[in-house]
Amino acid sequence: MPNVLRADGITVKFGGVTAVNNVSLSLSSGEILGLIGPNGAGKTTLFNAVTGFAPMHSGRITLLDKDITALPAFKRTRLGFGRTFQTERPFEELTVLENVLVAAFLTAKRRSEAERLAMSVLEQVGLADRAHQPALDLNLARRRRLELAKALAVKPKVIFLDEIMAGLNPPALREMIVFVRSLSAQGLAVLMVEHIMEAIIELSDHVIVLASGEKIAEGTPQQVTSNERVIEAYLGTD
Amino acid sequence: MTKHLIGLGVLLAVGMAYPAIFPNNLTVAISVLLFAGWATSWDLLGGWNGQVSLGHASFVGLGAYFVFIGQSQFGLAPWWTMAMAAAVAAVLAYFWGWLTFSLRGPYFSLSTIAVAEILRLVAINEEWLTGGATGVFIATLPEPFGVDLFSRTAQFYMALAFAAVVIATVIVISRARFGYQLRAVREDEDSAMAAGIDPTATKLKAFMLSAALTSIGGGIYGIVLAFIEPHVIFALLLSVQIALTAIIGGRGTIWGPAVGAIVLIGAGEMFRTTFAEANMLIYGVLILVVVLFVPRGIVGELARRHIRRLYAKRAQG
Repeated sequence: MPNVLRADGITVKFGGVTAVNNVSLSLSSGEILGLIGPNGAGKTTLFNAVTGFAPMHSGRITLLDKDITALPAFKRTRLGFGRTFQTERPFEELTVLENVLVAAFLTAKRRSEAERLAMSVLEQVGLADRAHQPALDLNLARRRRLELAKALAVKPKVIFLDEIMAGLNPPALREMIVFVRSLSAQGLAVLMVEHIMEAIIELSDHVIVLASGEKIAEGTPQQVTSNERVIEAYLGTD
Repeated sequence: MTKHLIGLGVLLAVGMAYPAIFPNNLTVAISVLLFAGWATSWDLLGGWNGQVSLGHASFVGLGAYFVFIGQSQFGLAPWWTMAMAAAVAAVLAYFWGWLTFSLRGPYFSLSTIAVAEILRLVAINEEWLTGGATGVFIATLPEPFGVDLFSRTAQFYMALAFAAVVIATVIVISRARFGYQLRAVREDEDSAMAAGIDPTATKLKAFMLSAALTSIGGGIYGIVLAFIEPHVIFALLLSVQIALTAIIGGRGTIWGPAVGAIVLIGAGEMFRTTFAEANMLIYGVLILVVVLFVPRGIVGELARRHIRRLYAKRAQG
C-alpha cells in the first residue's frame, strides 16, 4: 500500500522547550494510526504541526509524494487534509447545514452542489434532521459529529481526529468507533489522537506512543500495550 | 433570497415615488440612502467578516475628492472619477489590509483611524490639488441626458441607486461561497483554515469591496454637498457614524444597516429640531440602549428570534 502521508523528523520547539522531538510517521489509505501518550506528551502539538496549525522547527511532510512542509494549513486542506478540533469549534452563528456548507464550498462551485454535498455528509454523521438548527444549540455528542461532518465535507484523503471520543457516553462512544471504522473502510487514511484506550485498541492498525515529546514505542495495539516503556510512561516506575 | 429581492423591489418602488410625494424632504432622504449604502458596505467587512473599521470616512472622502478634482482640474465627469475612486479605494484597502490584517484583536480597528487621519492631512497640506483646509466648491457638473446633477431629485435617485446596488451586492454574496467564507473567518479563523479558507485573502477581498463601494457613495455625497472640507469629510465622527449605523441596525444582516440608517438619521433629524443642543445626548442614550438590550442590533435580534421560532415549530411538528 503506497503512503498517502509521510512526516519525517518532526521537531517542534516553544522557546527553549522541545515539545516534539524528531518524530516520524507514515500513513497509507485505509489505515488508522493511533497517537497516544500521557498528558503533555506532545500529541496535539505533533498533530497541529502536521496539519499546519503549529510552526515546526524542523522536519519534512509529504502528501502523496508532494512536499507540503512549507504550505499553510488552508493549502494543506485544499490538497487533502481534513481535521477536527479537540474543543469543537462550530461557526456558532451559523446553522448546522451552513457550517458544513462552508467546508463543502471548497470543492463545490455552485450552491446547489455544495448543499447536496453538505446534506449527504450530514446524513452520513446522522445530523441531517438537525440541519437547520443553530450550531450553538447542539449537545456535546452532536457537536462532535458536526466537527466530523465539517472535516469530511472538504473531501479529504487524510482525516485527523483530535480526541473525538473524549467525554462521550458508552453508546455514543460505540457509534463513534463504528463510524471511524467506516471511514477507513472507505479508503480514508485516519490519524487519531485519543485517550480512550478502548477505541485505540479496537481501531488502530498501528499505534505511536509519545512521552515528553519523544516517540517511545510503536507497533500494533497489542505490541505497544505490553511494552514496558509504555507502561512505565503511563504508570511511572515503581 | 426571494424575500430579500422583494424587499429590494419595495425599496426601489417607494424610492421612485418618493420625490413626487415628499418633494420637501429630499435632503434627509438622501442622507438616509447614503448612510444605508455606506453602512451596508461597511458591514461587508465589519459585520459579515467581523473586521471593524473606524476609518471608512477615508473612502467617502476619497470618492468626494476624486469627483471634485476630476471635475475642476481635468474636466472629468463624475462617473469616470467615481470609478477611479473605487479602484483607488480598493488599492488603498489592499495595502492597508496587507499591513494590518496579520494583527488580531482590536489593532486593525485602531489602525483604520489612522488612514482617514493621513488622508485628512494630505488634503489639508496639498493645497495645489485639494484646495487645502478651507475646502473646495464644485461649480460645474455635466448634464447627462439633460439631467441637472445639482438638483435634489437627481441626487436622490443617485443615492437610491447607490443604496440599491450595495444592498443587491450583499444579497448575492450572502448566499454565495464568498459570503460563507466571510462568516467562517469572522467566527473562527482556525476552523476556517481547516475548511480550506485563506483568512487573510478573505479579509482583503472584503475590505477592498467594502472600500470601493463606500467611495462611490462618497462621490455622490460630494455632489450633494457641493462643498467639501477635509476636516468634515475625513472626520472620525463620520467613520464612527457609519460603523454605528450598521451596528445598531444589525451587523451581518442584509437589511440591518439600512434600518440603522433610517433609525439613526431619522432620530438625528427629529432630535436636532426638537432638542437642539441635547440631540447628541439622546443619540448617545439610543446607542447605549441598543448595546445593552439588543447587542445584535435591531434586525439581528429580530432575525434570531425568527430563526428560533421557526426551529421550535419544526422540532415540535
